[in-house]
Amino acid sequence: MRMANFRSSYGARRLALGVFLLVLLGFFLLPHQLQTMFQGLGGPVGWVLSWPVRMVASIEDGIGEVWYRYLALQGVEDENRRLKKEIEQLQGQNSQLREAASATERLTALLEFKAQALPTMVAAQVIGRNTDNWYRTIILNKGTSDGIRPDMGVVTSAGVVGRIVKATLATSVVLLVSDPNNAIAGLIQRTRDEGIVEGTTEGLARLKYIPLLSNVRSGDHVVTSGLVGGFPRGLAIGTITKIDKEEGALFQSAEVRPEVDVTRVEEVLVIQSSYGANEESQGEGLPSVKTKP
Amino acid sequence: MRVLLYSVLIAGLVVLHTTLLPHLSVWDIKPDVGLVAVCFVGLLAGELEGLLVGLFLGWAMSLFSAGDLAASMTVKGGAGFLAGLAGRQMAQVTPILLVSGLLVASIGGGLVTMWAAKLSEQQNIWWVLQTIIVPQACLDAVIGGIGYWLLWSRFHLDRLATEQEL
Repeated sequence: MRMANFRSSYGARRLALGVFLLVLLGFFLLPHQLQTMFQGLGGPVGWVLSWPVRMVASIEDGIGEVWYRYLALQGVEDENRRLKKEIEQLQGQNSQLREAASATERLTALLEFKAQALPTMVAAQVIGRNTDNWYRTIILNKGTSDGIRPDMGVVTSAGVVGRIVKATLATSVVLLVSDPNNAIAGLIQRTRDEGIVEGTTEGLARLKYIPLLSNVRSGDHVVTSGLVGGFPRGLAIGTITKIDKEEGALFQSAEVRPEVDVTRVEEVLVIQSSYGANEESQGEGLPSVKTKP
Repeated sequence: MRVLLYSVLIAGLVVLHTTLLPHLSVWDIKPDVGLVAVCFVGLLAGELEGLLVGLFLGWAMSLFSAGDLAASMTVKGGAGFLAGLAGRQMAQVTPILLVSGLLVASIGGGLVTMWAAKLSEQQNIWWVLQTIIVPQACLDAVIGGIGYWLLWSRFHLDRLATEQEL
């Protein structure tokens, strides 16, 4: 087939070559400065682009809702029965936990521990998912104008979701806990052994650097250790499913199934300040959640 | 008019990549429709427009991704520029030429992204080639083939070009 022939002139070709070389040279010589500049300029651009993204995301949600409400009702009765049973079990557990909580409160008062401030959180909605094949990410509908900054932790009521890596005025990108490039300081709840939780290429997570003498076993829960910024101590990360102990290795590692199904998460909370950083929320019973219409 | 057209194209591609493509992925691999679009812009409108659209698209898409901004801009901009250069050397574009060109462009872009991304030790070069770069390049080529069929046979681009020349 014949090539369409409304291309640019020789001058434009030279200009294009010049611009391309300039961009390449710029990124080689001043990578950090240029990235910061483009990221800064991207704030308003991201805000403008967030509107069509939000619009399409809400249409998509609407279609999804119609689908789940009216078309995908097979097995709902069975699920309902199962969930009712689960609620009964959870109610039992809840009363036990209340007891434990009140006991902890009394003991804390007895030991005259200073009350810890609970983290301030911002509620956000997921409006998009990984734009490329390189990273496992989600896009949130809140950005720097809502106080969100890179490195803030993202959670749901079930546990850790990931960490903010980029933010524009109205959106932010979360690197999920299952991404191999993400690392969170973790703690095995039963043994109190610390390690680093990294994502895996299979979409799970792995707790690394567990001491060789640790008696960790499958089914142990892993929580955040609170040692590195972003997450306060004690948030659920996942459950250990397999232990890997290599001969001659200095540490053992364990496969962790994340507590949150990151492929289906729709609403999240972004942790703006960790324990002790916020004076306003001191003494409150629940984490303070700021919502924005 | 062209600026408006390209702005709409960039916004549309960002929306497509963030909201719709994750649902249309094949074995968890999504095509880089942005790269294909930039190559078409380069082929049809020349190096300068291909480069500029590529740079802006790379920038806009990097705002919604965890990826490296420089790599995203360079890959998309470079693809648009090279497509423009290739288009200038060709009197005719055949489907095979276009599909293989897109395959090469996508693999090249993937390698640059891999080099710039500083991936974790789990993601070695063979794993990345097998699971990301080559499958994505194949998908890009397929999308390019569909785009070619739409542009040249459905919208009669040949006729449009001849009319412009006259």
